[in-house]
Amino acid sequence: MNITLKRLVCLGCGFSYDEALGLPEHGIPPGTRWTDLPEDWVCPDCGTPKSQFEMVVIGYAEGGSPLAQNA
Amino acid sequence: MTQSFVLRANDRGHTVVRSEGSSAAYVAGHTPSNFVSRESSFNFHEYQSGRPGFGAIRVFGDETFHGAGCGYNMHAHHNFVICAFVLEGELTHINTAGRGTVDQLQQGDYYVFSAGSGGKHCELSIGPEDMHAIYLWLMPNKLYLPPTYHRAHFDIRTRRNRIVQLVGDGDGALPVPQDLRVSRLITDRPGAYTYTPRSAEYGTYLFVKEGQVRCGDVALGPRDSLGINGVDKIECDVADTTDVFFVETVMFDEARINAWEQEHGDHD
Repeated sequence: MNITLKRLVCLGCGFSYDEALGLPEHGIPPGTRWTDLPEDWVCPDCGTPKSQFEMVVIGYAEGGSPLAQNA
Repeated sequence: MTQSFVLRANDRGHTVVRSEGSSAAYVAGHTPSNFVSRESSFNFHEYQSGRPGFGAIRVFGDETFHGAGCGYNMHAHHNFVICAFVLEGELTHINTAGRGTVDQLQQGDYYVFSAGSGGKHCELSIGPEDMHAIYLWLMPNKLYLPPTYHRAHFDIRTRRNRIVQLVGDGDGALPVPQDLRVSRLITDRPGAYTYTPRSAEYGTYLFVKEGQVRCGDVALGPRDSLGINGVDKIECDVADTTDVFFVETVMFDEARINAWEQEHGDHD
């Protein structure tokens, strides 16, 4: 079983979703898989659909991940 | 292994976004004479039937803001590095990086705006002339960097007939948080030029803004482009009045782009 947690970036505006962090302020707890987000979920910043997010393997800048969790 | 693709002007995405109706919040102007026209080399917004990108490049498009007051209203970004190269007219750029900036850019001026942990911007043409610019969006090398803005000028009169680096590591080039360089060549006489990427591992996207360029057996005209990786150098013969952009980029392990290429079967 692949348990690697994924990061995805919105191709409309660059907003990132990190499975490990979730988006608690948007009601998504840490650990929520991308595939478990509803199909009609859209980028909270720009409204881009899920299908136009890209999985990325990019690390955080220093101090970046708490900011990403509370974006 | 050498891989390449040729993208003809007519194969690029063409989109017109009006400043009225459902896109009024996005596009500034609010009159029928204000609209943005966009020619996209890679998938962007409504245009989703083309290539998904190349290396760190996600957007390479030339856009025209039509009529005074046209452009994009203030909106938010994260992570993406957005560069603009002004070709004609005047661009008023406002961003929230650091303490914020209001900038006005004219022909030859260009900027690098890294949205990082969150940066808003507004792009406007406020004068009577239409504004024409090339917009380049890049994936950053780190997420949630502090937002930054840098700008510079490329003098199209005094820096002719040589390849000049505008963005990336290098003297006088604007810094960018990615392993990437942007260079430009403007000529006023025919000539042979060699673009040398740092190594064959890098990909180079060559876009002909104006003029005629021949690279090996590929002839490129206005708005045609070529993406190539796995080569030590790119040799090109250019016609007398030519304007070419070179974007040299690190190549990721690009599952998405490779899958698209396999599905479309159009690479060497």
